[in-house]
Amino acid sequence: METLEKLTTIFRNVFDDETIVLNDQLTANDIGSWDSLSHMLMINEVEHAFSIKFSLREINKLKNVGALIRLIESKSILIN
Amino acid sequence: MIYYLLPEKYRRWFLLLASYYFYINLKPVYAVLLVAATLVTYFFAILIDKAKADRSRKLLLILDIVITLLPLFFFKYYNFVNTGIYNLLDVAGIRWPLPDISFILPIGISFYTFMALGYVIDVYNKEIESEKNPGIVALFLSFFPIVLSGPIERASNMFSQFKGRLQFDYNKAVKGLQFMLWGYFMKLVVANRIAILVHIIFMEADLRSGSSLLLGVVLYPIQVYADLGGYSLIAIGAAAVMGIDVMQNFNRPFFATSMSQFWRRWHISLISRLTDYIYTPLSFTFRKLAMAGTVIALLLTFLISGLWHGAALTFIFWGLLQGSFLSIEAITYKQRRSLIKKYELAKKRWFIALSCALTYLLFAFSELFCGPVDSIQKGMVIIKKIFWNFRGPLYYGNFSTIAFMILGIFLIFFAEWQMEHNQGRFSLLNNKNWLVRKFSYAFLIIIILLIGVFDGGQFIYFQF
Repeated sequence: METLEKLTTIFRNVFDDETIVLNDQLTANDIGSWDSLSHMLMINEVEHAFSIKFSLREINKLKNVGALIRLIESKSILIN
Repeated sequence: MIYYLLPEKYRRWFLLLASYYFYINLKPVYAVLLVAATLVTYFFAILIDKAKADRSRKLLLILDIVITLLPLFFFKYYNFVNTGIYNLLDVAGIRWPLPDISFILPIGISFYTFMALGYVIDVYNKEIESEKNPGIVALFLSFFPIVLSGPIERASNMFSQFKGRLQFDYNKAVKGLQFMLWGYFMKLVVANRIAILVHIIFMEADLRSGSSLLLGVVLYPIQVYADLGGYSLIAIGAAAVMGIDVMQNFNRPFFATSMSQFWRRWHISLISRLTDYIYTPLSFTFRKLAMAGTVIALLLTFLISGLWHGAALTFIFWGLLQGSFLSIEAITYKQRRSLIKKYELAKKRWFIALSCALTYLLFAFSELFCGPVDSIQKGMVIIKKIFWNFRGPLYYGNFSTIAFMILGIFLIFFAEWQMEHNQGRFSLLNNKNWLVRKFSYAFLIIIILLIGVFDGGQFIYFQF
C-alpha cells in the first residue's frame, strides 16, 4: 500500500496532474502527459524515492503500472 | 494477379523473386550489397540467439552493427569524414589527400540497413526469436513496396505476416488501392508541382525577394510531406493489395499543436525506431541528471537523425535545431500546461489554429537545412532576407502552376482536416452515397492524369 501512495505522489508531481489515481492496468496511453520524455523523469524519481536501481531491460519490459509496482516491490524486498 | 493464382505457400517466394527482380532492375550491382546485408543479418541474429553469455551476445551485436553499417558509411559518409580529416590535418600543416569517392548511393540502403539493425537488436533484446528461414529475412529486407523509402518496418510485424496466410482480402485490397490513388495524387499532383517552384526559388536565392523566399520556406514542408508521405501511402497500399499490413508513416503532421506532437506524427517509422534504440538508452544513461539528461538525450538523438538524413553540416544543424525545439518544450511544459488550464485554451479554436501555425513555421524554417540549402550560411542569409528584406517582387511561377498547386494543397488539407476535426463526415472515397464515391474516384484519377507532373524532365525544362 505504501508503494502505491508513494508512487501516486511521484506520478502526480512528474505528470503534473493532481487527479491521477493509479491502478494496475494504467498505461501511458491513459495519462496525456506521460510520454517518452517524462517517462524517464518518472523512472528517475522512482529510483530516488525507493532507493533502488532499474536496468534498461527491466524498464523496456514494463507494460503497465501494475508491473512497475511489482518490480519496485521485488527490488525493495531485496534491499530490506 | 499471378500472385493470387499461385498456391498460397508459393506466394511468399513469388514476392521475394519479384522484390529482387525490382531491385536488380534499378541497379544490378547494388543487389550484391543487399544480399550481403541479408546474409550478415541472418547469421548474426541466429548467433546472438544461440549465444549464452551476455558478453559474447554483446560482442556479436557490436560486430553486426559495425559490419552492417560499413557499406552505409562507405557510400554515405566517407567523403564527409574524409574532407573533415583533410581539413583538420591541413590546419596542422599536414597534407594527406585521400581520393573522394563518387559512387551513387545504393538505392534504399539507409532504409534496409536500419531495418536489418532493428531486427538484430530486437533479437538481442529478446523481443523476438531469430528467423531460421533465410528466405523470410531476405524478403523482409527486400520487400519491394518498402525497400526504396520505407516505412522502416519491424521484423516482429513482417515475419509473422510473411509466414502466415497470404490470402486475398477484398476490403484490404480496396483500402490499399485507395491509399495508392491518394499517394499518387500527393506525389504527382502536389509534390512534383511544388518541387518545380521551390527548386527555382532556392536555386537563385540571392536574386529572390524575401517574400519569394518565404513562399519557398512555407511550401517546402508540404513538398516533403506530399513526396515521402505520398510514397509511403503507395507502398502501404501496394502491400495491402497483396494482403500485407505495413505500418503508418505519417499521421496528419500539420495538425500537430506542438513540436513534440509533430514528431509523433511525422516519419513515424523512423522516429519510433530512434526513440527505442537511441533516445531511450541515452535518456536512461543520463536519467540522474533529470531534465538536463532529457535535453542531452534529445540533442544526441536528433543529431543522429540528422546524420541519417545525410552527411553534411546542414543536416547536423537541422538535427540540433529539432533537439533544441523539443528540449525547450520539455523544459517549459509545466508552465505552458498551467497557462492552458488557467485560460481554458485547450478547446479554443483560435488557440489550436495558432499552435498548429507556429509549429508549422518552426518546422518550415528548420527544414530549410534539411535539403534546400547546402550550407548553414546560405540558410541564414535566406532567413535574414525574409525578416529584414521582405519586399520585392513575389516569384510564383505562372498562373496555372500556382492555381493547380493551391487546388492540390487544399484537397490534402481538406481531407486531413475532416479526419482530424470532423470525424470523417465529409469522406469522399468512403462516402455512403454510391454516386459521390464513384465521382470522387473519377475526379481524382482525372486530376492525376490531367495535372500530375509525370515527367522528371519537366523539372529541368523549367530551369532554363
